[in-house]
Amino acid sequence: MRPRQSVLLVICLFAGTFFTAGRAVAHAILLESTPAANSSVVGPDIPIKLRFNVRIDATRSRITLVRPDASVQTLVISKSTSADILATQAQGLTPGEYRIRWQALASDGHITRGEIPFQAARP
Amino acid sequence: MARLLQVFGFLSVLFRGATLTFQSLTIGGIVFLNFVVRSSNLQSETVNHACLRWIRRAAIALALMQVAYILASALILMQSADITIGDVSGANFVLAGVLAIVSALTIAALAGAQSPKIYAAMLLPAALILLSSVMTSHAMARLEYRFPLAIVTAFHQGATAVWIGGLLYLLIAIPRSPDNSFARQMIARFSKLALISVAVLAAAGFTLGFAYVGSLHAVYGTSYGIMVATKTVLFGILLLLGALNFQIAGSPSGGSLIACLKRFGEAEIGIGISVILTAASLTSLPPAVDLITDRVSAQEIAARTAPHVPRLASPPLRDLPEDIYAAQVKSFDAGPLSSASFVPGQAGTRPNTPAEKSWSEYNHHWAGIVVLAIGLLSFLAQARHFPWARNWPLIFLGLAAFLFLRSDPETWPLGPNGFWVTLQDPEVLLHRIFVVLVIALAIFEWRVQTGRVATERARLIFPALVVVASALLLTHSHSLGNIKEEVLAELSHAPIAVLGIVAGWSRWLELRLPSQNKMRDRLAWLWPACLVLIGLLLLNYREM
Repeated sequence: MRPRQSVLLVICLFAGTFFTAGRAVAHAILLESTPAANSSVVGPDIPIKLRFNVRIDATRSRITLVRPDASVQTLVISKSTSADILATQAQGLTPGEYRIRWQALASDGHITRGEIPFQAARP
Repeated sequence: MARLLQVFGFLSVLFRGATLTFQSLTIGGIVFLNFVVRSSNLQSETVNHACLRWIRRAAIALALMQVAYILASALILMQSADITIGDVSGANFVLAGVLAIVSALTIAALAGAQSPKIYAAMLLPAALILLSSVMTSHAMARLEYRFPLAIVTAFHQGATAVWIGGLLYLLIAIPRSPDNSFARQMIARFSKLALISVAVLAAAGFTLGFAYVGSLHAVYGTSYGIMVATKTVLFGILLLLGALNFQIAGSPSGGSLIACLKRFGEAEIGIGISVILTAASLTSLPPAVDLITDRVSAQEIAARTAPHVPRLASPPLRDLPEDIYAAQVKSFDAGPLSSASFVPGQAGTRPNTPAEKSWSEYNHHWAGIVVLAIGLLSFLAQARHFPWARNWPLIFLGLAAFLFLRSDPETWPLGPNGFWVTLQDPEVLLHRIFVVLVIALAIFEWRVQTGRVATERARLIFPALVVVASALLLTHSHSLGNIKEEVLAELSHAPIAVLGIVAGWSRWLELRLPSQNKMRDRLAWLWPACLVLIGLLLLNYREM
């Protein structure tokens, strides 16, 4: 490699290290959820709806329910009329502490995840 | 897989940044070849072949980066969402990536043929690369104005590639020109192309800024807004360099003028790629317009940035949490977090304790004293009446030792976490990289300043490392457990990074410009001034 070429390469490589650490802040933001975080709902069957700030690839996104006994159930995401919503239903809830774990693939290819703790109360 | 999961957020920005960089170099080269070299009245086989060689290299690098990005994202998706490779293959990012890989490999094959007939044929795959990039941009995930924003994004990225990517090829072509007349003709044609690109870039950037930031409050109140503002400042510096180049290009013919243009061009490419990579880190942030809550107010910024007495006494080590990582994981498992969503592998965060904040402020303030001393001594060294001041780079060794011991008290050698834990936390990893950079910087620059090394390459190491360190700072993530605190930390670090970039490139130009260029004398004072300002900013850094 000629000296002047190596200087150019050095410029590109040094500039390239600019991105060697990424922010850990996620891309998709959960704007609204049903049930809301830390809320109390009445079972046994409840609708779950998550609304994001961006379009979501529902086919490649996941919603799971962590039950009071720590068992995990994957919920089937229903076809939604809106591109920014993931919707499903949890059934057979008994009183106790639950968590909804979600993972969303945004249309721009970013994967994000989060948790929504809530409580199921007696009817 | 567990290790990949832990560094996934880090990797996704890395691959995105590399993809955007190599995309710009590939597209910029093809446009340069077609609209600058090919359209010239004169032809040079040497120039054509050199351009084709670099286009090929950039295209292959782009294809490799895309393969790495698709593999990492697909593996994470398959593992975390428990879906098959068949399901993943239909995802938008996979389709976009495959399109880019096929297009890049097509360009590499065409460029390998080195025939003038293929120059125009490369424009189509270049356009497809741009399309694939837009497919994974913010625009494609927006709920409103999706396609208008996608078109504006294409213009924004395309203009960047033509200007910054094309400039690299101009610098490659100039020394290979058969004569000055040929070089000047190329420079004149590229100047026109660059002017149009800058206009398109600015107009598209303004439109995207309006759509994604939306208000003045979002500019200073969110991480996204601060990054956009930083990008805009760097763009302003680029425009200044571009204007200098444009002025030189219009001057009467002369070898030294072309030499000046090449040197300014080097700085322009370096800063330009830095801007491209800032844009890559922006893609990992939610647009400011979507962050309605947790914005920082002007009053909060004024309160945080008001001058104060530096903290020169450290809190005792025992006041810090014994294991910060364990505390973070525990916090994540325990419940509500500071922000609603995370990239896979990211642990939860918790608010820093007062002792941790004091520890950090103490570190920043002592670092500020060191940098201020370096700035003042380098001023004295420039005055040439104080030869002892030329030993100023040795102060960096003290800074390296200080950073190594103090920056991450929870890790080796002070804390319970082993050395390899550093690889799991981007923030700690960054601090370790900084330490290595600072030691290298001290040794090389001391040898240069005291006349022990006279080669040009060795002299360039200091400015290059200053630019790298400053660039890293712009992607510095602060896990402060609070969105507002992270924004306030970024508000203080962004100007330091910009000053560092200016310091690095002004020193670079001082060394590289021809001796008859009068700007060298001004640049010789500019970089010490930047170091002094960085020292003062560090001295005023606060976390509470």
